[in-house]
Formats: sequence, C-alpha cells, structure tokens
Amino acid sequence: MAEKSNNESKEQELVGLLAQFDDPETLVHACNEARAAGYTKMDAYSPFPVHGIDPAIGIKRSILPFIVLSVALGAVVLGLGIQLYANGQDTFWPFPGYKFLISGKPIFSIPANIPVTFEIIVLSSAFATFFGMWILNKLPRFSNPLHRVSRFKRVTNDKFFLMLETADEKFSRSVSEGQLNDWGAVAIDEVNQDLTDTELPKWLATVGILGAIMLMLPPAAIFSQWGMTNRLPRLHVVPDMDWQHKSKTQTMAANLSNELDGVSLMYEDLRSARRPVDGAIAFGSLDIDSELSYGIKSDFAYTITSGGNALTRAEDTDKADKKEEKEEKDGDAVAPAEEDNLEKYVTTLPEGFQLTEEILDRGQQRFEIYCAACHGYAGAGNGLVNQRAMSLAATGAATWTSARSLHEADVKDDAKNPVGRIYDTITNGRGNMGPYKAQIPVQDRWAIVAYVKALQETGIQSDVPVAADDDAEENQEQNQEADEKQEL
Amino acid sequence: MHETRPAKITSPIVSLSDGYARTIPVALIVAAVGIVLSFILLQGPERFLYSYLANFAFLLSICLGCLFFVIIMHLTRAGWSVTLRRIAELYAMCTPYMAILFLPILVTTLTGSSYLYPWVDGGWSIHGGGDALASASVDQLPPLEQLKASFLNPTFFAARWVVYFTFWGVAAAFFLFTSLRQDKEGGIKLTHRMQAISAPALIAFAASIVFASFDLEMSLDPFWFSTMYPVYFFAGGVLSALATITLTALWLQRTGRVTDEITIEHYHDMGKLMFGFIVFWGYIAFSQFLLIWYANIPEETFWYDIRINKVGWKTLSYILLIGHLFIPFLAMMGRTVRRSKTFLSVATVYLLIMHWIDHFWLVMPHYANAPGGHLREGVVTTSFFYFLGDVACTVGMIAAFIAIFCLVARSRPLVPLQDPRLGECLNHEVH
Repeated sequence: MAEKSNNESKEQELVGLLAQFDDPETLVHACNEARAAGYTKMDAYSPFPVHGIDPAIGIKRSILPFIVLSVALGAVVLGLGIQLYANGQDTFWPFPGYKFLISGKPIFSIPANIPVTFEIIVLSSAFATFFGMWILNKLPRFSNPLHRVSRFKRVTNDKFFLMLETADEKFSRSVSEGQLNDWGAVAIDEVNQDLTDTELPKWLATVGILGAIMLMLPPAAIFSQWGMTNRLPRLHVVPDMDWQHKSKTQTMAANLSNELDGVSLMYEDLRSARRPVDGAIAFGSLDIDSELSYGIKSDFAYTITSGGNALTRAEDTDKADKKEEKEEKDGDAVAPAEEDNLEKYVTTLPEGFQLTEEILDRGQQRFEIYCAACHGYAGAGNGLVNQRAMSLAATGAATWTSARSLHEADVKDDAKNPVGRIYDTITNGRGNMGPYKAQIPVQDRWAIVAYVKALQETGIQSDVPVAADDDAEENQEQNQEADEKQEL
Repeated sequence: MHETRPAKITSPIVSLSDGYARTIPVALIVAAVGIVLSFILLQGPERFLYSYLANFAFLLSICLGCLFFVIIMHLTRAGWSVTLRRIAELYAMCTPYMAILFLPILVTTLTGSSYLYPWVDGGWSIHGGGDALASASVDQLPPLEQLKASFLNPTFFAARWVVYFTFWGVAAAFFLFTSLRQDKEGGIKLTHRMQAISAPALIAFAASIVFASFDLEMSLDPFWFSTMYPVYFFAGGVLSALATITLTALWLQRTGRVTDEITIEHYHDMGKLMFGFIVFWGYIAFSQFLLIWYANIPEETFWYDIRINKVGWKTLSYILLIGHLFIPFLAMMGRTVRRSKTFLSVATVYLLIMHWIDHFWLVMPHYANAPGGHLREGVVTTSFFYFLGDVACTVGMIAAFIAIFCLVARSRPLVPLQDPRLGECLNHEVH
C-alpha cells in the first residue's frame, strides 16, 4: 500500500505496526493482550529491562546456552586433539606429528595438556556466546526499518513500544490498529521497509583495493628483510634478554661477555652441566647408620674422598687397589685373617635390622636367588657355577678362585668372620665374588647374613664330604645313562 | 503487570521456635555416643584423632565459609541475599563453639604427644629408605625444617589458635549481633557500619584462613608445603558453606518456617554460586596438582604420590576428581536444575558428602605415612571396625554441629526483619 510515509523512497512494503505507550505497565498489559489475541510475531521495545515482559510477550528460552555447551564440548575434543596430533603421535599419514618428549612426561599426557585445552574451551565458549548471540539476533543488520519512524527515537529515553508484524497470521491492517488502540496505545505508526535496490557507492571498490594494497606494504617490507644478506649484526634492543647470564642444560656454557666479539664463558671447562659438590649424596641414599649400611661399627671414621659422590671410604679404594695387586700374584682365595682390620666389623646384627621368621624366610629366598648359584643350596660350595668354573679351571681354560663352603671353619668363626664381615663380603665382594650392593638392598643383605648363620648353625657334618657324594651320585647316574645309550 | 512485593516479612513462623529445645539434648547425646564409640572402635587416640581432625576441618570450613558469605554480602552491598544472610550469620557464630570441639586436638599437641602432628615433640621422626632412626632432635633436621620448627611448636600453635578463634568469634558476633540489633531498630546506619567493617574483616579473614589451614591440615606432614593450600581450603569451605546454607533454607521451608521470604530466585542464585565454586575448587585443586606434578621434585611430589599411586587412595582420588568436579559441574550447569528444590536438596547433600571425602583424603593418608613420605613402621589395619569408627565419629561430629547451630539460633529470627534492602531481596528475579 502506498500511503504517506516518513521517507521519500518509492517502493515501500509494510512490515508492521508500531504502537507507543507511555509507561511499562501499559506496555506489559498490551503484550499480554496481544498474546491472548493470538499474535506470535511481535516485539516490545523499552529503554530499560521491564520485569515480566518476557512471559508477557511469550519469548521462549534461548537456545544459546546449548549452542555454547556444544561448542565447549567440541573444544575439549579440539584442544586434546591438537595436542595429540601435534605432539602425541608420529604415524598419522600424510602429515604425522612429532613425538615430543617434554620434561620426561608421557608422550600424550593429560595433566600437561589440560591448560591448553582449558583455554581453548574458554575462548571458544566466549566466541560461541558472543557471536552466537549476534547470529540469533540476526546481526549484523545494515538497516532496520524501525529507525525510519521518527517517534521511535524516544525508545532510548522514556517511551515504550510494541510492534505487531505483518508476517503474523493474525495481522490485519485495520483490525490490528484497532486492537492496539484498545490496549492503550498513545500513537500508532506504520513501519515500512524500503525496497529500492541498494548499491554501494562506486568509489568504494577502488578505495578498498587501494587500501588493501597499502596495508600489505609494511609486512612486505619487513618480510623482505628476512631474505637479505647484511653484514651488520642484528639490533639487540635488550642485551640482557638476548645474552642471559644462565646456561641451559646440555649446552655449552653461556658467554657472559657484553662486547661484540668478546668471550667470557660462565664455566672455563665449556660445560654447563656441573658435577655434584663433593660429598653430595643422592636423595634417599643417606646412610648415616654405618652398622646397618656397611656392617661397620660407628666408631670407625669415614673420610670423604674427593671426586666421589657418596660417603665412600678411603679404605675401600685402598682395598680395591690391594686386591688387584694380590690377584695378579695368585689366584687363591685370600684368607680372612690376613686382610683387614677385623675390629671394625659388627659382631651382632645391627639395631636397624629386625630379625623375624618371615625375614629369615626372605633371607633364604634371596640366598637361593643370588648365592646358591656358586655356594650351593646348602652353602656347601657346590653350586653349579662353581662346579663348572672349577672344571674349566682344572683344564687350564680359566683361572678361578673357588667359592667357599660356608661351613668351613674360617667362615663359621665369629672372630675371624664376624657378621659384619659377611655383610661386607656380600656388599663389596671378595676374591672372584663381585659386589652385590647394586642388586641387593640393605635389609635383604642382612637377611641373607642371618640365613647364612642359620645354615651354619644347622651345619653339615664336616667328615662327610657332601660335595663328593652329590657329584658321585650325579656321575653315577650320568654313567648309567651313558652306558645305556651306548648299549643302544 | 508485575507487582512490587512490599518489604515486609510475612511468613507465620520465622524462628526455630520449639524445635530447638527438643533437638539440642538429643543431638548432644548422639554426639557424645558417636565420639566415644568412635574412640573405642578406632582403638585409641592415634587413629581416632585423624578421623576427628578430618571431621573437625570439614565443619570448621563450613563455618568459615559462612562467615565469608556474610562479609562478602556486606562488602558488595548485596540486596538479593538478605533473607539468606541470617542463616549464614548463625552458622558463622558457631565458630567460637567449635573452639570447644578443637580442644582434643589442642590438648594433644600441648601435652607433647605426636599422635597427630609429628612436629610436636621437637624433633621429627626421620625415616630414610627403609632404615629407621629414633626420633631425631631439631638439630638433625634439614635447615629449612629447622626454620619451620620455630613456627611449628605447641606453644606458638596454641597461641595462633587462640588468635584465630578470637578473631572469628569477634567478627561473627559483630555481624550477627549488629544484624539482630537492626531487627529491632531498623534504619541504614547499622548497614553502613557492617559494610564499613566488612572490608578490613575480609583482609583479616584471608590472613586467618591462610595460617589456620597451614596449622590444621598442611602441617600433618611438615616436610610438605604448598602456597595454594589455603586457597584450596577456602574454595572447598565456601562451596560447603553455600551448600549448607541452601540445604538449611530448604529444610526450614520444608518444616514450615520462613516460607515466604526465600524464593526460588534465591535458590537459583545459590545454585549459580555453587556452580561457580565447584569450578573454582576444581581449578585450584588442579593447579596445585599440576605444578607439583610437572616440576616432579621429590620434595613436593611425595604428598601426591601417597594419594595417587597407592591402590586404595588412588581409587579415592579418582572418586574425588569425578565426583567432586565433573559430575557436579555437569549437573549444576542447567537453569532447570538450579530452580528445582528437589534437585537442589539432593545436590547439596551430595556436595557436602563429596567435600567430606575431600577432607578425609587430605587428612587420612598421613596416618600411615610418616613425614618425608616414608611408610610408618607397623601394619595399618583397615577393617570393618575402623570403618564403623569413622562413621561413628562423623555422625557424632555432625550431631554436635547441629546442636551448636540450634543453640546459636535459639528463638532468634531466621531472616533479618528490618534490613533496608529487604524490598530488593523479596522482589529479586533471576532471568
């Protein structure tokens, strides 16, 4: 309908009727009436939020929260997925990631990946909320026909408006106007949409293209510098930041000189990795209790050797030297009494070790694992390793110091071989026997000592050569088998 | 149109009235029975004190969270929460009575027995790699721990707790009694006064929470430290406080009290706040964990090691993660659930149970693990009787707490009668 309207364009289309009200109560009343009359396509406008307008107008709850929730859940997948793809795998074809070991954490490690994931969730939720709200409000809009109604300017001030849209089924030009009047409208306006074709100004395209080209000039200038050769060093605006007085791990020591070609290394030996301070003890290996850890009475002093990283005793190093010399001379076992100062060894089980039946069983188990191979299950020195080594030594193919039988008088004697010395033997080795301190923890070593003493207590009759008997039996059996085979 | 509700209290019943007189003796009897039974079932003070401490910390954090709620509502000139504030004021006023419940812990430390806190006897038992030393003297401690000994000793501990309870008591009393005075006098002068005091009160509150949480729970293993710990304690405490206030309001309305004054809009807002603090708690808990996990320094990680890598505690840690963070997060997110009284009743109880588990998880692992993260000698029995003992202690402590609340609430009105922001509160709408 081409009626008088408040602009000068030629083509108009009626979009709706706008009614003005002077106070919020009348507006809400009118909204209720409109809803009761069956209108669904309408909207109310006010300078401030009006209580009760949402249900009056019949506005349904927005779906925006659900949009945000879906986006956030997707962001969880996205966040973890990015990190999994980029750093957690290297097999995805054709663009595999790179398994980056960071700080020794697992390759794909959820706790480490949470911060990035969390921030992506927050960011995408914020975007979803903001842009989702725009989209649900059909924004951005370049024009709104309501702004053509001059009366509508008062909506930001002190007037309240209700618009019934023509798109609504119940809308009819005359009836609706009458209804609005009944509901208390102070004034009613037509809202017309301008249908003339809109064109952008012609100069916009030219200016736009020129502007885009201009904007690309500074980055082009900067990036072109990257490819140039220039003998001058780069500008360092903050030298403290570029040459920091710190050395990173596994790199060369930092250069602390502030001159252009100066060299002043943080460490003269070029290494940024330093040795621990003399006497430094690894976490968890503080062995204050010498009776427990070394089988040595606490009276006997320790010296910390330089270059060592534990409470090593100078005696140990000396003893090791002596042992080498001795072994070069002869291959026999060194008699216990000759070696070292027996006074220093403890003669009773130390206080830090509580002997119970379970511990003794444990000692037996450990003995059978570590010791029986050479010393035999009864401690008689007839372990299979020892037998083999002895037979090889007999043919001259190797040199071997026999594993002692634990029932020998020397070994049983508490004066010549106190428990502390047995412990020391296990810990540091003796003769051909290597040190077991790396394999057997302290408590287990004492358990083995206790078991050895138990074996010695129960003992084997010294006049019955057990080893020979066993061998004889085995040899007998083997000979019988060999005979039988030959017969066949 | 929407009519404006008048700023008047219209419910017929506004106080606990007769209910409290009957409840208090019953609750006290249950409390006494529960605590004594727990002591017997848990076979003595050593194990009992841990259960007691976990429950005490849980209940104290509720009281302190409520005090925070009161302070912050005054500081922000909040109008929406006016009718809920009195409930929070009453819970905050329970704090001085909690001092009585604190006595077992205080007496234990003052008499020098290190059942609970290892730092009590001057030197701490140092266990190293399976070898045991007798209790060493302070001189044998590492230098940092020697410094700690000047803070962690029974005398200073007791002095600090006197200061804490004094401050909390004075602050809670100020806010409650001023509010009660306003019931009779009306006017805005008292509101301005409470608002003015709330700012310094909040600063002092923050300081007190920091050191109280160090003293109460973090010093169970004096080798460990975390600057996040007070924030963790605070976050969980406020969450529990919000749940408690909501639950109390729901229960009061269910029994016919203050039926008109607390509307669904208030519950909606409390639901929103609880959701916020669930997220905050999770954020803080994870931050504390992540930093320690990532740095991987044994000095700090052992505390999490005993909670994550041991079979039983591992399960509980996962229960906490899923049950205290993920499930409540998803459950409390929606508008519908926040506006459903049934759902909120279930949700608040669930949150309180979860937070009790949180304190259990904070305190209990230290029973088996001596300071420095090494296993205490001897066998730790977990038996049905121990479980019953824990249950008895919990029931007893909660009964004691209920008795205290009823004693504080007495026949006082459960909503502020003449708060100037009452109109804003009763007309509050959440969209």
